[in-house]
Amino acid sequence: MTGLHPATLAFGQAEEKLRRLTTALTTRAAIAQTPKQLIWTLNKAKLYRYVPVVPAEKRHHVPLLLVFALMNRPDILDLRPGHSFVEFMVNKGYDVYLLDWGCPGLEDRNLKFDDYTLEYLPRAIRKLKAISGSQEFSLLGWCIGAIITTSYAALRPDDGLRNLILLTAPLDFADKETITFAKWTDPRYFDVEKILAAFGNMPAGMIEYGAKALKPVENYVGNYLRLWDNLDNPYIVEAWHAMYTWVTDNIPMAGGAFRQLIVDLYQNNRLMQGTWELRGERVDVGRIRARLLTVIAEGDHITPACQSESIHQKTGSGDKELFRSPGGHIGIMAGSGASTKTWPHIDGWLGRRSA
Amino acid sequence: MGDKPKGNPSAGDKPYDPLEAWRNMRDATLDAWSKAMIEAVNTEAYASATGAMLDASLSASAPFREALEKSMVQTLQMLNLPTRADFESLAERMTHLEMRLDDIDAKLDSLSRPARADASAPKRKSKPR
Repeated sequence: MTGLHPATLAFGQAEEKLRRLTTALTTRAAIAQTPKQLIWTLNKAKLYRYVPVVPAEKRHHVPLLLVFALMNRPDILDLRPGHSFVEFMVNKGYDVYLLDWGCPGLEDRNLKFDDYTLEYLPRAIRKLKAISGSQEFSLLGWCIGAIITTSYAALRPDDGLRNLILLTAPLDFADKETITFAKWTDPRYFDVEKILAAFGNMPAGMIEYGAKALKPVENYVGNYLRLWDNLDNPYIVEAWHAMYTWVTDNIPMAGGAFRQLIVDLYQNNRLMQGTWELRGERVDVGRIRARLLTVIAEGDHITPACQSESIHQKTGSGDKELFRSPGGHIGIMAGSGASTKTWPHIDGWLGRRSA
Repeated sequence: MGDKPKGNPSAGDKPYDPLEAWRNMRDATLDAWSKAMIEAVNTEAYASATGAMLDASLSASAPFREALEKSMVQTLQMLNLPTRADFESLAERMTHLEMRLDDIDAKLDSLSRPARADASAPKRKSKPR
């Protein structure tokens, strides 16, 4: 390299930077690489079991089921080798399962939280119990997944749920001033019926726009400048590419569930008021008896802390902890500090309760 | 993957970058702009404006969409081809079938569990009669 003319060297470096930029912006990174087996399906939903790497006698006895949001792919839990929550937990000796809701088609537009909570999730849990041989299990719900797991924990407290972990859980919608989405979905401005009449399901593009518009400059300008500034660093480019692949791969949300999210929760706060009903059963969070860990992202602009805090006053759990982690809605689990802060805390908490 | 990160030298041996001052200014501007925009989108005015735009576009496109859907259904029926509604009805029936299968699968699981347990249990010698 020392014999090369400086101009040739500069040209080579520029060419390499351009190649990295093009690759990051136009190709899909290899994400969700941890080995797993498909063990159950229903409609578009799939239940995976991650291949354990720790011998059975050294593993935690209580299996862990991960439940992610309805409008994004769950690959964020297993972003890339060496930086994956799933890989971390598998290496720590957990028997890890993942419920992937899949991508709803127009034929699924009537699917509601009732179906996800009382049909899909209990069936997946039944299979998990059959495969693991354990009658007890832990649930980790993230974002909308936390609404489903909280409702399930309240409606089926005797189903064997031992530990419940809620990540950035949007459960309380009372503080309309702090929750930007609550302002946007105010019935004076937002006609959910008109959208669903036009599209059937809530389109992925509109959901993506909504999430990005909360921090428009950061998402539409700053994010790309960060890539440009770091093109010399292949490790930062690799991380950026993986996150970009996930962020731009959104899925629509079933119309029925979206209507409930807006009308029942954002507009009327029925879950925390104790008036939310799924299949005629009232969701009373006071009936939750599982041990509870709530993780709040201190810089969360999608689910502000006020949405996750009040569950702790209402739940009937005797063992509960509120953990605040620095970072944003996604950053606490997939950002650079996740592996040193959030993941070890979850492991420490869950490990002591999974024997 | 085992290589050390390139292009990320420590602050002490960082080469002179003539664009650094410009970059710092850019970042400060972006930061201020970002804060202003976050405040702007968190207002009733923004919610009202985006709601009105969305409403207008949906209202404007609704008649065309409905006409297109109607003519599509008529065309497909004329050609004796299944419509979206037919596929949706089929998909619903498929899901119900899947649930029935899932229930049967669960019953088989519960039946085979004691059998598996018996097979793995140490065998007792039967007493001679």
